[in-house]
Amino acid sequence: MTRLQTFWGSFRMSLLHFFADPQWIIPNIIAPFIFTAVALVLFRNVSGSVALYAVLGGGMMGMWGNTLYGSGFALAFDRWNGTIEYVLATPSRLVWIIAGRSASNAVLGLINALAILAVVTVGYGVLLEVANPILFLVALILTLVSLSALGVVFCSAFLLSRSASVMTNGLEFPIYVASGSMFPIALLPFWSHPLSLSLGPTWGIDAMRYATDSAYTGLGFGYWIDLSAVLVSTIVYLAIGFWLFMVAEKKVRDDATLVEY
Amino acid sequence: MAIVLGDWPPFRIFWSSAKFAFKALFSWLRPEMWLMQLFTLPLFQMAFFVYLSRFVNPGAAGVAFIAVGNALQVASFSSIFAVCNITSEEKWQGTLTPLIATPASRFPLFVGRAMFQILNSMATIVVGFVYASFVFGVDMSGTDFVALAVVILITSLAMTGFGLMLGSVGLYLRTAMIIANIFLFIGLLVCGVNFPVTALPTWLQPLSYAIPMTYGTIAARAAIQGSSIAELSPLILQEIGAGAGSLVVGYLLFLGFEALARRRGTFEEF
Repeated sequence: MTRLQTFWGSFRMSLLHFFADPQWIIPNIIAPFIFTAVALVLFRNVSGSVALYAVLGGGMMGMWGNTLYGSGFALAFDRWNGTIEYVLATPSRLVWIIAGRSASNAVLGLINALAILAVVTVGYGVLLEVANPILFLVALILTLVSLSALGVVFCSAFLLSRSASVMTNGLEFPIYVASGSMFPIALLPFWSHPLSLSLGPTWGIDAMRYATDSAYTGLGFGYWIDLSAVLVSTIVYLAIGFWLFMVAEKKVRDDATLVEY
Repeated sequence: MAIVLGDWPPFRIFWSSAKFAFKALFSWLRPEMWLMQLFTLPLFQMAFFVYLSRFVNPGAAGVAFIAVGNALQVASFSSIFAVCNITSEEKWQGTLTPLIATPASRFPLFVGRAMFQILNSMATIVVGFVYASFVFGVDMSGTDFVALAVVILITSLAMTGFGLMLGSVGLYLRTAMIIANIFLFIGLLVCGVNFPVTALPTWLQPLSYAIPMTYGTIAARAAIQGSSIAELSPLILQEIGAGAGSLVVGYLLFLGFEALARRRGTFEEF
């Protein structure tokens, strides 16, 4: 079986699992949706920045929520269902199986983001006027891929741990804060800026804001630099993720601790 | 004849259930992971809303309002999410059916299961208030700490009662995870955590006052401004009422859903 077949098979199976029981979209989407609603109440007396920060931030958080929980539970559900031994016993490399699942979570994350945008537009009457739809779409898709690659990095840690659910809960807010999803990262302490700038989503959301509002100044590097930073960080995440998976997979095989939960 | 508390069946069931839940939790959750959750969750949740508030309205008053509200609300991870999932976790582990087959009273059994989460909630709130003061600059110099301690205790107990009520619904559902997630975060919107309840549409406000957290956030802010227990007693009594009401409704729901699940044979469905 080629890597591509493994990837596609895993992608398809993951989507089928989701559509067999779509209620699981609620835990993934509820936090970003509520945060967006809270932000809209706080922004009610502020004009101009609402769509840029609250709505786009909510959409980005929706994508991250889905990717994080999808990655966190990609292996935890296998553990609970007793299928993880079979997944690992196949000749296909685990990392390609996880990559297929992460890609499927990314697609569902896009649906999350669009759902948040739609609810906010209809429910709150906040219209997102995009200055350059093509550049916006490119930035959105690259941000989604970047989030997905970050999910692969974290999933390697979840392979080693029985506490994936605790780790996913712990990782949701730090990315929301560090990436400046709903506020400029300039507000954060100066020492945290390198961490923020090492995250692909920070650059991705900035690029989306550039594409939405031509008067936006943001990080100050411009759309194309932002997009390049998303691309580079995604490649780095994938390289780290694949390497970590090799190490983690070998460790759980050697220690025989994969099924522990 | 003197009655020894340890021999009183409801207490014995409660205590053994509490001990068992504690041991079961730390059989899979490493203490360092628990500590990581205890110290990082309040910090990042508070940071998110505090920075959002600083961006929208740089005034210090708004920051203090939000920091205090979130310091209290972050306990929902223990008192709502973890407690609501108690019945579902028994399903996942395959232990719900034998548990239901015992003649033990359900009330002390499941309240005992939630006991550790009450302590966990209190610890989380205390950590949240430490961050509020030392990281986010909330002025706590005029705080009545006895009143604040009582508010923390009552909020933890009352919210756990609310979590148990949601968990009763989870007994019949395939999983309580969905409602646990909804009610974990809905407090941010409806319980006066980030803005006053009066900013909500009128039709939504009754929901706010049905959740004990709403009284807790108002009482905590008042305690930080120096209100004593005597001054806070009407609010605290309302919070106790909301928590006790949740617990009673939860128990009745549990008995009803237990009967329904027995009749339909859905105990093991998940």
